[in-house]
Amino acid sequence: MTIHNMYIFDRYGTLLYYGEWNRTKQSGMSLEEEGKLMYGMLFSIKSFVTKISPLDPKDGFMHYKTSKYTLHCLETPSGLKFVLNTDNQAQGVRDLLKKIYAEIYVKYAIRNPLCGIGEQINSELFKTKLDAFIKQTPNYAVRAS
Amino acid sequence: MADEIVFDLLHSEIINYALDQSKDNNDKKEVDLSVVEYIGFAAGYKIMERLTREWPRFKDELDTMKFICTDFWTCIYKKQIDNLRTNHQGVYVLQDNAFRFLNNFSNGHQYLEYAPRYVAYTCGLIRGGLANLCINSVVTAEVQSMPSCKFHIHVQRT
Repeated sequence: MTIHNMYIFDRYGTLLYYGEWNRTKQSGMSLEEEGKLMYGMLFSIKSFVTKISPLDPKDGFMHYKTSKYTLHCLETPSGLKFVLNTDNQAQGVRDLLKKIYAEIYVKYAIRNPLCGIGEQINSELFKTKLDAFIKQTPNYAVRAS
Repeated sequence: MADEIVFDLLHSEIINYALDQSKDNNDKKEVDLSVVEYIGFAAGYKIMERLTREWPRFKDELDTMKFICTDFWTCIYKKQIDNLRTNHQGVYVLQDNAFRFLNNFSNGHQYLEYAPRYVAYTCGLIRGGLANLCINSVVTAEVQSMPSCKFHIHVQRT
């Protein structure tokens, strides 16, 4: 089981943070461009899901799966999007994302007055804490490539 | 915890406000934190009144400093000072290895240049607390590596 990479977007689509762990294939574009593309896709999926759903969608879009990887998305009421790519066997990623939001993002980005609102997170502490958190989860294991 | 975050956010906004004010007053790059320090002084003075309500008189200066390190600090920062040192000539060094206002900032040298802003209030707090116990002092802070912080208290003898 593997965690590939992670994006955090704010409600205006700004890429606040990008973290990478086991990504073997790069997209071949700049991170900025990639972030825009990713956010655009999530935005479209979200509106697609709410429109096409035959029932009242409670949580809306949560994840999609390809043959190789799964993309999990957590959207908070404030519009933050936490996006995590894992392999298909990963379990309990939603709780993991909620924890990252509550214990890492709120603590080290929101409660750090030097991290501006709506700006990229540059804090080293945030990065190390997130890295440590991802690495101690049971889902994290480096896949032999 | 809810009460803690309210204090933290208010503290950081007071600093932002003071920075804005000093920007308006002069174009120099210098940051004027005396307002923040004074707010801390007033708060420290008043809180000491409340905290020592049930206490007998302190024996000596060192006893007072110990009170600052334990009860006073616990009341405000929910922990005790990690280390107290003195030269017995009116200089005391209080060391907090995980100072609350710096805890979420960094784990080393990043943002070090901003650290003085976030210790000014506490310097005033200590000075105010001591002033109410009849000890006039000058309190300065030193941050070498976050989130640890040293407060130097120089007691003014007359």
